[in-house]
Amino acid sequence: MIQFFHVYKTFTRDVEALADINLHVQKGEFIFIAGPSGAGKTTLLRLLFRDELPTSGQILVNGRNVVKLRERAIPHLRRSIGVIFQDFKLLRDRSVFDNLALVYRVLGVPAAVGKRKVANLLKLVGLSHKAQMTPYRLSGGEQQRVAIARALMNDPVLLLADEPTGDLDADLAADVMRLLGDIHARGTTVVVATHDMNMVRDLGRRAIILKGGRIVEEHQ
Amino acid sequence: MERLRYILQDALVNIRRSRWGGLASIGTIAVSFVIVGIFLIITRNLGALVTEWKEQFQVTVFLEDGITPEQLALLKKRIESERAVKATTYTSKEEALQSFKRELRGKESLLEGLGENPIPASLQLRIHEAYQTPEALRQFTASLGRLEGVEDVLYGQEWVDRLAAAVRMLRLLGLSVGLALGMASLLIVSNTIRLAVYARAEEIEIMRLVGATKMHIRAPFLLEGMIQGGLGSGLALLLLFGAYRLTLWQLQLTPGQIFGVGVGSFLDPRWGGAMLLAGGGLGAFGSLISVGRFLRA
Repeated sequence: MIQFFHVYKTFTRDVEALADINLHVQKGEFIFIAGPSGAGKTTLLRLLFRDELPTSGQILVNGRNVVKLRERAIPHLRRSIGVIFQDFKLLRDRSVFDNLALVYRVLGVPAAVGKRKVANLLKLVGLSHKAQMTPYRLSGGEQQRVAIARALMNDPVLLLADEPTGDLDADLAADVMRLLGDIHARGTTVVVATHDMNMVRDLGRRAIILKGGRIVEEHQ
Repeated sequence: MERLRYILQDALVNIRRSRWGGLASIGTIAVSFVIVGIFLIITRNLGALVTEWKEQFQVTVFLEDGITPEQLALLKKRIESERAVKATTYTSKEEALQSFKRELRGKESLLEGLGENPIPASLQLRIHEAYQTPEALRQFTASLGRLEGVEDVLYGQEWVDRLAAAVRMLRLLGLSVGLALGMASLLIVSNTIRLAVYARAEEIEIMRLVGATKMHIRAPFLLEGMIQGGLGSGLALLLLFGAYRLTLWQLQLTPGQIFGVGVGSFLDPRWGGAMLLAGGGLGAFGSLISVGRFLRA
């Protein structure tokens, strides 16, 4: 599903965010990208959905060479990937429902089909009763769950989560991780970037440790 | 396609949200097009006038008093054979005097001491438009003057030419003003849309994340710009028509009565249609500029 070959990413003024990243992630795997802040976790994720281009190296996602991808093909790539951010990135002036509906509108899916999908996903994340509320009225954990539901709207083969439990307390964090586990169980490849080394250890999944832009450890 | 419906819905939501900005755009475009429209109407009417006058343009050949009927017949035949001449009308001395008396209505006493009729007989010649250039006329009237039985030749071309030149200048002026106003409108629409785009910046970011194409993002804004432009020019047309009707009503005239000729018309409907299209096009273009700049950044 994911392959990194000698990937380097240098930002302006010789800020080396990633150095010699070699990584293979099989389809259907669950993997943590762990490390302290500034280690390059977010950059790594952003390379996966072509928000950034590597300075050198090759990246394959679901068989497609992301680096050589033409600009016109980027939207198509992103439609098979779901992304979750630490700051949720929800539209605060729209209802939960509308936040999710945005996706099927972009995809051009007929309204009836799209609405059903939204309803299903809200049920999955346990927020059906809050569909008409705006994010203002939701707790951090609930907002994150909405973000997860949105990321699932396009039935992605790959789910990327950037610090999904970053701002949440232990209980809510556990909820989110359980949800991600369920999603993984259904066959989605899940990549979670986190600085929470305790969580990584507790959950016992495969983990790559990043430090200063390099892979320093790997746990199975 | 379903997508088109969503794009239309997004555009309408956008328009509702940028209410005042939208009105500013529509207003500016309306003003611009009203001004251009006024120029168009004026030049259209003046142009029609010039054409009318050129049609009725006459050269008057004054005849010597002692001309014999045979000489007259010969002269007429000679003149009618000229390619430049469209038609001739003969006015005798008596007819000319009567006509003069009619014009002096109420002051005929001025003629009492005249004795003999001093007014000459004349031939009024209608000239083909192709021969109405200053050069051709000068040559033609010079040659006419040399004919037997001709006393004098009269024509008043200069001022028609001057009017035609004035109309040309007005057209040019109208075009320049239109261009300048067009640019101003472009900038205003562009700015309004830019604000709308920034207001939706978050949403656009998410749309790109989820896999929306650039076209999909541009489309609602393009539509919004087009609608603003179209409404602006449509409003201008309404205002122009209202002012036109009002002017005629104030002057208590029907369109055909101004200058006694078939003049006093509104815009050519083709120009009206062109204005609507130009408005929509202007709006779309302004929108493209803003969205393009945003997407590139």
